Amino acid sequence: MTILGTALGMVFYLLQVVSGESGYAQNGDFEDAELDDYSFSCYSQLEVDGPQHLLSCAFEDPDVNSTNLEFEICEGLLEVKCLNFSKTQETYFIKTKKFLLIGDSTICVKLGGKHITCQKLNIVKRVKPEAPFDVKVIYREEANEFVVTFNTSHLQKKYVKDLLHEVVYRLEKNENDWMHVNISSTKLTLLQRKLQPNAMYEIKVRSIPNTNYFEGFWSEWSPSSHFRTPENNSGKMDPVLLIISIVSFFSVALMVILACVLWKKRIKPIVWPSLPDHKKTLEQLCKKPKKNLNVSFNPESFLDCQIHKVDGIQARDEAEAFLQDTFPPQLDDSEKQRLGGGVQGLNWPSQHAVITPKTFGGESPLRCLSGSVTVCDVPVIPSSRPPDCREGGKNGPHVYQGLLLGAGTTNSTLPHLFPFQSGILTLNPAVQGQPLFTSLGSSQEEAYVTMSSFYQNQ
Amino acid sequence: MFHVSFRYIFGIPPLILVLLPVASSDCDIEGKDGKEYQNVLMISIDELDSMIEIDSNCLNNESNFFKKHSCDDNKEPLFLNRAARKMRQFLKMNISEDFNLHLARVSQGTLKLLNCTTKGKGRKPPSLGEAQPTKNLEENKSLKEQKKQNDLCFLKILLQKIKTCWNKILRDAKEH
Repeated sequence: MTILGTALGMVFYLLQVVSGESGYAQNGDFEDAELDDYSFSCYSQLEVDGPQHLLSCAFEDPDVNSTNLEFEICEGLLEVKCLNFSKTQETYFIKTKKFLLIGDSTICVKLGGKHITCQKLNIVKRVKPEAPFDVKVIYREEANEFVVTFNTSHLQKKYVKDLLHEVVYRLEKNENDWMHVNISSTKLTLLQRKLQPNAMYEIKVRSIPNTNYFEGFWSEWSPSSHFRTPENNSGKMDPVLLIISIVSFFSVALMVILACVLWKKRIKPIVWPSLPDHKKTLEQLCKKPKKNLNVSFNPESFLDCQIHKVDGIQARDEAEAFLQDTFPPQLDDSEKQRLGGGVQGLNWPSQHAVITPKTFGGESPLRCLSGSVTVCDVPVIPSSRPPDCREGGKNGPHVYQGLLLGAGTTNSTLPHLFPFQSGILTLNPAVQGQPLFTSLGSSQEEAYVTMSSFYQNQ
Repeated sequence: MFHVSFRYIFGIPPLILVLLPVASSDCDIEGKDGKEYQNVLMISIDELDSMIEIDSNCLNNESNFFKKHSCDDNKEPLFLNRAARKMRQFLKMNISEDFNLHLARVSQGTLKLLNCTTKGKGRKPPSLGEAQPTKNLEENKSLKEQKKQNDLCFLKILLQKIKTCWNKILRDAKEH
């Protein structure tokens, strides 16, 4: 009996001890929450102290009693199987060169040598870079920009070399209005026009691994740096620029005024030349026309003019001789008479010939000569003096300066065969009112052409 | 006649079964994208190469190891496995702590990436060489120094071969 009782007592005692160690509570509930209480997080810092790496772990619940708790890392180490963490305040850390940096490691929380909770993690995926430092802001006046530079210890490291940097800046008076810029280098340019003038700014930087192998968390912020933007100088202009702008303004104004003043007289004739008007040209040629001057090509307006027949020609012999030399002797006698009678006082080496057979014929209008020399539609060009009909019979012989000689048998023009300088014609005052210009209707075009050539010659 | 058949039926197939694992390679290369090699192993190989100060004539010597093992096609994992195991022998040289750590990183890291399951994994690596019987102190010192130089020369060549073989694996992985 005694033995039996003792045995039963021992069994119950063992049961109680075992249940107590397994965490079985008296109220019957499993305390699974104990595992959550010991949850922890870790981060690594590679080459933080020369070739040594740092691994830091801490409980997520700050109320955990970590008095007797220890951390241990196994696997993923060189030459050893496991390493124990050191403790400082509430943080556990290990500083060693013996991380393999390939594959996973196992970190366990131990209490009294027994594992409470373990976590598998890859050290290279929990890298926290060191904070940047030495943030400087330099103002470049010539480019109106601010150059931000900073330094990081990872530039000299072998493993975690490539980082992504986040630069943030704000107006000091705006507490939470930060501007963010991400860069991969250690230099940033801020344009002055994007910042407020005459204001104080705060700027700081942090980093994160930016490689396809090492990953992790943002570093701590760098110490803040402050800079002031200059006052707005857009109102002040460069004096040289000011002078140039004033001179150019006045030049443009002067050009506009001159253009307005000289538009009609000088500019418009060049830009939009006017076609010659025959009436105006005639007026210009006549220079000081008298008020009652009858300038017209209409023969009816000359009806009251005295038109004298030209009977005699002083240089008759010369004219005949010239005509015989230049033309073949095909002319009829009647034509010779006409030529002889009609042309008077001609000096043949002149520009134009004066042949008016009509004047010899009397009443008949101008007829063309047969033979080699024909005078067809011979226009009469007045002299330089305006033909004043009232003075026609009084002033004596008129001077005809230009007449156009018609074509010969070959229908070719003969304007140059009878060069005409100035001839004196003796007019028969008895013959008056001869319609000298009756046939001018058909030769008006030639008269216009001659007039325009006169205008051009002038 | 009957006993001859038994010899061939029951003798040869077991022999084949025994020999088959020896000839086959059970290595599965991880990290064919080259991340582990470029970010960790290559750094340690370069560090070791810079630490080994040796004559340039060293590179001309061909060891028996390289005559037996080479990074041929479809044999890259096997070569790297053999080379990584060979490197462990040099840990005993105790040149420096950093030297040993880089050596261990290359060896252990390569074996971890190869993930081989060949037999003899737990075998103790053969030693570099047997100790010579001491004739006198000076001769022993010179012999040791000569042996050290030879070992370092071999290690330098081995590191180059490992680097070349890894580059070949990564190049083949990119092409495929």
